Amino acid sequence: MKRTTVAASLLAVLLSTLVCIAAPREVRLGYLRNDLHHLAAWVAMDRGFFRDEGINVEIAGIFNAGPEEMAAFASRSLDIGYLGVAPSATGLANGSARIRAVALANAEGSAVVVRKDSTIRAVRDLAGKTVAIPGYSSVQDFLLRKALEAAGMDPRKVNIIVMKPPEMIVALDGKQIDAFIAWEPHPSKAVTMGIGRTLISSPAIWKGHPCCVVAVDEQFYRVNPQVVKSFLRAHVRAMEYIRQNPEDAIRIGIKFTGMDGATVREAISHIQYHYFAREDDIKEYVTYLLKLGYIKSIIVDGFVREYLDLKMIKDIAH
Amino acid sequence: MRYLPVFSVVVIWQVLSLSGVIPGNRLPSPVNIFLGFTELLTQGLPPGYGLAGHCAGSLKRVLGGVGVAIVTALPLGIAMGYWSRAREYLNPFVEMVRPVPPLAWVPIAILWFGIGDRSSSFVIFLGAFFPVLLNTIAGVLSINRRLIESSIILGASKKALFGKVLLPGAMPSIITGVRIALGIGWMTLVAAEFTGVKSGYGLGYMIMTARDIQRPDQIIAGMAIIGIIGYAMDFGIRIMENKILKWR
Repeated sequence: MKRTTVAASLLAVLLSTLVCIAAPREVRLGYLRNDLHHLAAWVAMDRGFFRDEGINVEIAGIFNAGPEEMAAFASRSLDIGYLGVAPSATGLANGSARIRAVALANAEGSAVVVRKDSTIRAVRDLAGKTVAIPGYSSVQDFLLRKALEAAGMDPRKVNIIVMKPPEMIVALDGKQIDAFIAWEPHPSKAVTMGIGRTLISSPAIWKGHPCCVVAVDEQFYRVNPQVVKSFLRAHVRAMEYIRQNPEDAIRIGIKFTGMDGATVREAISHIQYHYFAREDDIKEYVTYLLKLGYIKSIIVDGFVREYLDLKMIKDIAH
Repeated sequence: MRYLPVFSVVVIWQVLSLSGVIPGNRLPSPVNIFLGFTELLTQGLPPGYGLAGHCAGSLKRVLGGVGVAIVTALPLGIAMGYWSRAREYLNPFVEMVRPVPPLAWVPIAILWFGIGDRSSSFVIFLGAFFPVLLNTIAGVLSINRRLIESSIILGASKKALFGKVLLPGAMPSIITGVRIALGIGWMTLVAAEFTGVKSGYGLGYMIMTARDIQRPDQIIAGMAIIGIIGYAMDFGIRIMENKILKWR
């Protein structure tokens, strides 16, 4: 009788351990609304790559802009999120949330758009005009100023205002603004709607510039490194999938944005999907954010070492 | 002595922040908020856009919207107060539009007026119009009917009736309406500016920028500035009220 009890208890312990191992690990994910830069996340969800890695991804938030997503990180509502380098680095530097950037989500994929019939032909012609950006300290804010400086212009000569990207196309059409800079698919949508044309695309401003990253809540990273690694494996697999299955990637882009095929196809053609960020590129961002006064009193090298942690992604890639 | 409770709260708050009980990234300490405020003063937000400019931008929009509200609601209110027919026919319109929050009008305002000062002034106008209108009507209705009847019997022209009897008689109520309108207008303004401001100046816009660069200390400093200006405007109206209604 005693042996049966012991055997039954051991079996129970074994079964419950197996269940614990087999039960999917939860990840609360956030990304930006209609931001095709985050296609890898959507591909991984659609194709079941996260499930294959044994993680259960719950969409904990879809945000209109990076700073909103950082507020979600600050209130500990997200474990992992896709968002721009600029808002995530700004948030860490200004102490609003403790996150780590563990992989790149995309490079390039933004553009400055003017009205189709506009007389603006070069960046220099933006002097005295009104240009909309999605928000201060966004990647696009940074790119616009970089483009203006490269053209030898003082950014103060341009009236830079903040607008939500979905409203930019209407504002451009209605002559409220003379130009806007936004992430794909908004520039492509302006083109396919026949309202705008690209003045300058972001690779022309800064070739290969990093754009969005995969950010992890620092405590989640410390406590669940295996889950983060599994997530990144799915992320890498999604990137490969996009490269090898462009048509299906477009289908998934349409599914998650609700936009038409022509726009999504055009938009994806302007985005680079790869997962390695270069430390020097991130340093350039951070130096610029310092210069603009959005972040203060940090030492760039030390900060970037704290912000960027590519150990896992390097491991996975080899 | 009056300010002792407020002072104590601030001190306790600072102590709790210093000890880490209140996390600094969710609620900055009073000292950090003050430092954020000095940065707003010295450097501006975004850097280069000074605080004075933001205050001026917002005040312009609010005073514009509330001004138009007063100029339109006053005569309409007196007419509706005096003529019951006018009240009967116009009330349905008033009661249908009044419950709609001014902020719900923002997308329409932008469609009609674009993203400049006019759309935010329009939203403020909508918020300010109804308190002035309703208080004017109530003020006229509260005038002793005998006074009105006597004026008519004694041969007062419509102009004299409106200008020398109805308007002064309704004035206490009208001023209350203006105070409420200014308060609502000031509150609505900040949210209206969240949607975008062409000139780059405005207190709501400034708070939105603080949110963008993730500085909750400056968000709260901005909120405090908005509160102080709102209080100052109300104080100003109360002084004016005492002057205008000296006869009371």
